[in-house]
Amino acid sequence: MAFVSSGYNPDKPMGDRITDIGPRHFEEFYPPVIKNNKGKWLYHEILEPGVYVHVSETGDEVYTVRVGGCRLMSVEHIREICEIADKHCGGYLRFTTRNNIEFMVDSKDKVKPLVDDLMSRKQDGGCYKFPVGGTGAGITNIIHTQGWIHCHTPATDASGPVKATMDVLFDDFRNMRLPAHLRVSLACCLNMCGAVHCSDIAILGYHRKPPMLDHEYLDKMCEIPLAISACPTAAIKPTKVKLDDGTEVKSVAVKNERCMFCGNCYTMCPSMPLADDVGDGIVIMAGGKVSNRISAPKFSKVVVAFLPNEAPRWPSTTSCIQKIVEAYANGARKYERLGEWAERIGWERFFEKCELEFTHHLIDDFRDPAYYTWRQTSNFKF
Amino acid sequence: MPIVEFEGKEFSVDEDGFIDDYTNWAPEWVQWVKKEEGIEELNDEHQKVITVLREYYEKNGIAPMVRVLSKVTGFKLKHIYELFPSGPGKGACKMAGLPKPTGCV
Repeated sequence: MAFVSSGYNPDKPMGDRITDIGPRHFEEFYPPVIKNNKGKWLYHEILEPGVYVHVSETGDEVYTVRVGGCRLMSVEHIREICEIADKHCGGYLRFTTRNNIEFMVDSKDKVKPLVDDLMSRKQDGGCYKFPVGGTGAGITNIIHTQGWIHCHTPATDASGPVKATMDVLFDDFRNMRLPAHLRVSLACCLNMCGAVHCSDIAILGYHRKPPMLDHEYLDKMCEIPLAISACPTAAIKPTKVKLDDGTEVKSVAVKNERCMFCGNCYTMCPSMPLADDVGDGIVIMAGGKVSNRISAPKFSKVVVAFLPNEAPRWPSTTSCIQKIVEAYANGARKYERLGEWAERIGWERFFEKCELEFTHHLIDDFRDPAYYTWRQTSNFKF
Repeated sequence: MPIVEFEGKEFSVDEDGFIDDYTNWAPEWVQWVKKEEGIEELNDEHQKVITVLREYYEKNGIAPMVRVLSKVTGFKLKHIYELFPSGPGKGACKMAGLPKPTGCV
């Protein structure tokens, strides 16, 4: 289509400019039953996986149906979500903090038609468009990042592995058979956008090769001191390099044996790319949580040092995750999160139960705090 | 890289309109960016910001932090935005011929 102006005048960019108005106030979008009972909720119950009810002190009830969302959505898909909300919920809906979609109705007889309608909708390829689930002690949506869709520093894809993993874990999205809820997250590089550092199971994109140096352009494109200070292990130092044509340019030198392939320097300096098709892959972490329930929040810990990128279905990654989930489901006590289970039985038992190989890569060697992760006791199991 | 021709000079730029090399900067470049950024009139204050940026980059090899730029020029961030509507990074650094800001921007 040819250019259609919105009324913006590029010759007067500051004319009629509206700014700093912030987001719309959330109360504008409350369903009436939420608006009337705000702050008056007495209790709630999960009726079945994906469906729960909140009861207010006024006697009002609100039934919520949670459905999985793919997060990366077309406008067409959003319109279909709106169509469902118009049909069943008076035009109201919400998204959760894990990018699920919640449809709310105010009486029980409206729940079944809504659930039946949602479960009947499928993509042409056969996938459920709106699978109902994600509540209670099951596995809900995977928090993930941009991957090869949009980012320039990823070591793996996001949408692809998430789809492959959720396919494998789909029964646990629809059910609540686990000891406690199990959060899975993915980040496509160690920038860790999202929740990988605090999830029960985390999938993390990882490089295994040092950056390549574009000496010809480095000083022109980069602020060299920033690239040097971006390095957590001080592997980068400034240097002068003679190019093939004899000109001497400012650049950097990387001490490869100090480099641990974090990619921070590439974030700061476009002339230091490090993505590699066979070098890049996935690290699996486990045992993190953010809630304060029973035990304090925990960071997730690295349990698998490397799995290759295997587009489009990532079979080694998904089978590894499945193994961890099964071992946890069989071994943990009720209400025990994965990290609490691993700490109770001991990490040496965790590796045994999950049939994971323990390699030297898993032993912390980053600065002074690494010492505290080693075992300074004779308490261990053979 | 696309080439920009302006007032008899040629500048090689990237897709965001930043100059390819700090040393290829010329006073004509400022006039070109002024047009691109929709700045109506260039005054001494614009010139002061550009001079500070170029001097700081030459001396230190990086663009100054926003607080440093404010302190050295004496312009509050709000005033820098009034001078350069796209802000100190996309507006002023581009005009001064500094490399494109990097990181999670």
